Amino acid sequence: MKRESPLLPESDAREAALFFVIGALCFLAALAALTTRGTYAAAAAWGDQIEGEVTVILEGTDRRIAAEVTGEIENLAGISQARLLSREEIEDLLAPSFGPGGLPEGLPVPMLIAVQVDMDTADPIPGIEIVLGEFGVAGEVGTHAGFAAHVQNALAVLRLVGFGAVGLLVATAIAVIAFATQAALLARRDIVNVLHLSGAEDRFIAALFARRFWGLATQAGTGGALGALMITALIVFLASSSAGAEAELLPRLSLDIWDILILFSTPVAAGLAARAAARLTVLRALKEVR
Amino acid sequence: MSRIRFDFEDNSAVRLDGVSLSYGKNEDILREVDLTLAQGSFSFLTGSSGAGKSTLLKLMYLALAPGRGDVCLFGRSTRLLKRRDLVGIRRRIGVVFQEFRLLNHLNAFENVALPLRVAGQKLASYQNEVEDLLRWVGLSERIGARPSELSGGEQQRVAIARALINKPDLLIADEPTGNVDPEMSRKILRLFMELNKRFGTTVVIATHDLGIVEEFNRPAYHIQQGRLRARRKGGAT
Repeated sequence: MKRESPLLPESDAREAALFFVIGALCFLAALAALTTRGTYAAAAAWGDQIEGEVTVILEGTDRRIAAEVTGEIENLAGISQARLLSREEIEDLLAPSFGPGGLPEGLPVPMLIAVQVDMDTADPIPGIEIVLGEFGVAGEVGTHAGFAAHVQNALAVLRLVGFGAVGLLVATAIAVIAFATQAALLARRDIVNVLHLSGAEDRFIAALFARRFWGLATQAGTGGALGALMITALIVFLASSSAGAEAELLPRLSLDIWDILILFSTPVAAGLAARAAARLTVLRALKEVR
Repeated sequence: MSRIRFDFEDNSAVRLDGVSLSYGKNEDILREVDLTLAQGSFSFLTGSSGAGKSTLLKLMYLALAPGRGDVCLFGRSTRLLKRRDLVGIRRRIGVVFQEFRLLNHLNAFENVALPLRVAGQKLASYQNEVEDLLRWVGLSERIGARPSELSGGEQQRVAIARALINKPDLLIADEPTGNVDPEMSRKILRLFMELNKRFGTTVVIATHDLGIVEEFNRPAYHIQQGRLRARRKGGAT
């Protein structure tokens, strides 16, 4: 038994160019979506970290009492960790103001307790103030509220700009894919006409081209998404192997279920755009003939 | 106001009633054309290049709709038919184009089988039929050849076989001998005559080759400046 050749010819140079365009656009769109999400996650984590940390400043007390106060604070509900900072750590914190030479010997330095607050429980600050009262220690609880508000504002702007940029890129990608599909298909118009005059129904011809361009776009889109995955994996690797502060600046890419969903949906979206464009172009071309 | 006409007595294959057509806002390329081709007839359509022969044929094979007037095929007005209904009529028509219009990525067998394939038929149901037809047009040895591997005459015969595979009630050929030598022209015409005689297929051939029209001595219509006239023997209209 003979095997029938496909009714549409193998892809030519025009379709190879279309393949590249779709692949590149899907790569950019997926990478933009992943990095925007990762950048937002990193910034949000940084914001949470700031909001979740309270600094207790103790004045006029010695290190032994300060250590006892620290232990009591750590036992409070809603406190995950309390740690009394050493003099060296405090000097490091003050180094931007006093220089690297350290603080003068006789300069009185307050004791600092870094407290990690569990954000999901009730406000722990009244409890901390009660502990300070019980020990008869003068102190102040700093919540970084002003700084945290700035961070939250910056996050809101980042979210708006990031998702807006991704939305614009995805819309542009879909428009370019549709346009390029249309251009590639116009070159096949002779085939459309021959099939039409051979008695093929409009929907048969449209389905033929829609299938072809769906396949082409999903393959190209998969290539683009895989490229984005590789770059993402590289960023994840760099972030995990870098212990310095610069790691905080890298997008927090985890390749979790949402990232996988973005990678999967990219070729599907490209395929749907190309399929719809092919179908509409063929039906429009057929409308021009009787 | 247009009238819908039901003509149950009409046994014509093609009937054009007052058909006019222009491309865009240009002058009419066809003017008030009336033509009736009886079922089983064999006719020629002559005229100089650009006279409107191809346009007239396009109206017959439903590639164009008339600007005014009506095109009736097999006794049925096509004016009010929906697109999906036109497909059924189109499948009763075989068309041979001057430039062949074969699909270059398909071989001779696949090009001939195209109308059956797009109609949803399976290979097993038409394989013998296609091979028989290719044998009939003298291409049994070239069954797997692609158009680029075929001569002009061979390509034309593949195009003819494709037009015939559906056993059409109406065969329309637009300058079928335009790209072949005189000997092949006569072979092709004899093929059409045989088809007309054996199966009663209505045949319309557009040609500018008046020698062939004289030689085969069949009714001919001449188109000039968009108007159609019956052509008498000897060339007078």
